[in-house]
Amino acid sequence: MSLLRRAVDRVRGTDDSVRGAQDHTTDPLLDALIDALDPARVKFDDAQRSLLGKDASVFDGGNAGPICYPTSTSEVVAIMKIATQFDRAVVPRGAGTGLAGGAIPLGAPIVVAVTKMRDVIEIDEANGVAWVEPGVINLDLTRHLAPLGYHFAPDPSSQQVCTIGGNVANNSGGPHCLAYGVTNAHIQAIEVVTPAGDVVMLGGLDAEPDGYDLRGVFVGSEGTLGIATKVAVKLTKNRPAVRTLLLSFSSVRDAANTVSGVIAAGIVPAAMEVMDNAITQAVENYVNAGYPRDAAAVLLAEVDGPNEGIEIDANRIREIGLENNATDVRLAADEAERALLWKGRKTAFGAVAQIAPNYYLHDTVVPRSKLADVLDQIYAIAAKYELLIMNVFHAGDGNLHPLIVFDGRDEGILDRVHAAGAEIIEASLAAGGVLSGEHGIGVEKQAYMHLLFSDADLDHQNRLRRAFDPTCRANPGKVLPAGHSCADIQHLRSVPAGLWG
Amino acid sequence: MDLHLDEDDLNSCVQCGLCLPHCPTFRVTGDEAMSPRGRIHLMREVQDNGAPLTPEVLESFETCVQCRGCEPACPSSVPYGHLMERTRETLADAGAITPLWQRAMFAPLATPVALKAGSAALGVAKRLKLVPKRLGLPDDLPLRQEPLEPTGTDVYFFTGCVMDAWQRDVHRSGMRVLKAAGIGATPTNELAPCCGALHAHAGLADQTRDLAEQMMGNLRDDKPILVDSAGCGAAMKDYGHLLGTTEAEAFSSRVFDIQEFLADHVGALPQVDPLDLRVAVQDPCHLRHVQRVHLATRTVLAPFVRELVEINDDGLCCGAGGAYSVLQPELAGQIRDRKVNSISAVQPDVVASANPGCSLHLAGAGVQTLHPMQIVDEALSQ
Repeated sequence: MSLLRRAVDRVRGTDDSVRGAQDHTTDPLLDALIDALDPARVKFDDAQRSLLGKDASVFDGGNAGPICYPTSTSEVVAIMKIATQFDRAVVPRGAGTGLAGGAIPLGAPIVVAVTKMRDVIEIDEANGVAWVEPGVINLDLTRHLAPLGYHFAPDPSSQQVCTIGGNVANNSGGPHCLAYGVTNAHIQAIEVVTPAGDVVMLGGLDAEPDGYDLRGVFVGSEGTLGIATKVAVKLTKNRPAVRTLLLSFSSVRDAANTVSGVIAAGIVPAAMEVMDNAITQAVENYVNAGYPRDAAAVLLAEVDGPNEGIEIDANRIREIGLENNATDVRLAADEAERALLWKGRKTAFGAVAQIAPNYYLHDTVVPRSKLADVLDQIYAIAAKYELLIMNVFHAGDGNLHPLIVFDGRDEGILDRVHAAGAEIIEASLAAGGVLSGEHGIGVEKQAYMHLLFSDADLDHQNRLRRAFDPTCRANPGKVLPAGHSCADIQHLRSVPAGLWG
Repeated sequence: MDLHLDEDDLNSCVQCGLCLPHCPTFRVTGDEAMSPRGRIHLMREVQDNGAPLTPEVLESFETCVQCRGCEPACPSSVPYGHLMERTRETLADAGAITPLWQRAMFAPLATPVALKAGSAALGVAKRLKLVPKRLGLPDDLPLRQEPLEPTGTDVYFFTGCVMDAWQRDVHRSGMRVLKAAGIGATPTNELAPCCGALHAHAGLADQTRDLAEQMMGNLRDDKPILVDSAGCGAAMKDYGHLLGTTEAEAFSSRVFDIQEFLADHVGALPQVDPLDLRVAVQDPCHLRHVQRVHLATRTVLAPFVRELVEINDDGLCCGAGGAYSVLQPELAGQIRDRKVNSISAVQPDVVASANPGCSLHLAGAGVQTLHPMQIVDEALSQ
């Protein structure tokens, strides 16, 4: 194209590069998708496929087929029917902040990005719910509800970017889920487009719906049962008062023991989060919130409720901290300081690049009484494999997030990272824990499912899955390990070789 | 293709995605290719993995507003602005972006006579309705203006290019406010015709370097240099990085945004009755995300108006982006719609914005925007 032509097109806004997609292709699948949506909302160029082949995990084996940006339930239905017609898999995607590879496309499926379905449809105060589209950002929803005195309680660390659809898919947790419960406790009803292209409503606004709780089955199903197109989330009243404490310790064990002590004392804080020295330093470099750089561990504890009660709880937490050798206890003076402390905790993973360009994150949950022991084992595993492992975790519910920090350019390092990861998982499960607290299984943790479930367990899960998705078209290759989802494997193999690279 | 990007800078991104909601183009499109994380991924693909410069890759780079709203959101402090400037410089050198007609557009900025002639011609054309409305230019581009006279020699007052041609009244207000605080200012006029920010954004960094050298040569003493355009101030504070010399570092350390400088001299301003206005503060990106001195605007404005209100959008860009609103009018319009909604939600009487690009762009959507200095000047002259 001549420079002049390009200039004229740009000024007129008719430049192809501005509009982003051509109207005609030689591929009948693409043509069908374009007819169903809009040429600008069906993408299939190499750049887009490369971008949507990834999420926030380290997994880089993604291979995206056509990428669709629907704006309505009926468009999602059309995509599902086209997928059936062309025998293609479908992978839903929100903000792409998943850490277990749940949104990674395998075998060139149609990727359905819900980021353009981002309306808060209705706030129904009488029924205590808001109806939202799946692409609404978690924190945007909370801000939207703020003038009415409500918020959406699950607050994953990525809440400023992650979507409600993604929260539903992963049954996401967050620091304040200690007192308020994880996503499953906050979803009243879900409109789902099934893999066959039917629209069904799971759950309902009744407090105790009759029949099977299919809503509960769908929450946490990681896109393997269909695509949520509308979600009724519960409205949670904002808290009358909050106290946030920052306790410093000279050992991670003391911090962990404080956490067990607080729970044993019958206090249910809104949140209890622990960070070790390495991650605290990285976080403090970014937020300048006054986190102590010399403490071996810090505990961020928050209580909320009526003023009188939280004063008592805050004092008791301080005492328990001091009994466990806390070197300093600080009360956030105001909302600004509180917000800054939380900003630090919630951006911890992203701050890791200050130390190394890659990280592999585990998400095991262990009984609180075993926290200190398992953490000791994790540091020993780090030493054994000569790796840096940083710990930042939802201490209140025993949800560990050991971050194995590394530089992927170092030869052979991935083998060590995976070996150390396997030992961390084995140690957690041996202590009576589970694989994943909130990040999901995705492609990252599948191989460990057999450590937790028997063959019979997995077989039943697969049968449940296939009741929704008999042809295994919804996000194949995720959650259930290969031996228990043979249809998945057949499906992945059925992709014509070379078609999508 | 080697984009000449530093490996460590690229590797300082762990792809966590926390930047996404702070990016205006991602906000309006929901498209990963229009996000900072996506753009960095494509830089890696091009530089490390031999990905070709397809139209889609170029579009991803060219649609970035360079507001740098992603930088404060990044826990690992990825130097995104520098990565994008470097990428554009490499691509412009290779002739892949910034075609000749765009280069022709930037050329007169550094030449006051040509700029004034061009600006007057544009003003006439606008009045004759020959300029497409979608470019969002204001209706009342000035045809001729009175010169700025020095008020003293305490500080330099940077006058610049487009702003001096279109908004010299803002300079006049700024100099009057300084005078009221007992600070005499010398307008830089021909000594510093242009900061080169727009050139740098377009990948024409050599021209920026030339303009920086010229300005540094002409402003050799150690007096502070005050700037009332956030974009220019950010560019001049970056000369140290751009030229990589201690001399340039020293020069950059003399550059202050005018509100930043006045925040320390508010007490020296006369006490007057505040204007009966509810003022929304719209932070220019290069004041908030790059210079990070946006709180000074509030310090300076507060005594002079009835009420200051914050726009509840985390300082998301308005879509002006220097020449962006002209080069990418469709996206710039969508981004502006979002900003206008956020402004309407707080129902201000007037919007204060300390950057000429933002105020022109918002004025194009009918939002009445004044420079903070104009508001303080008005209060002082009651």
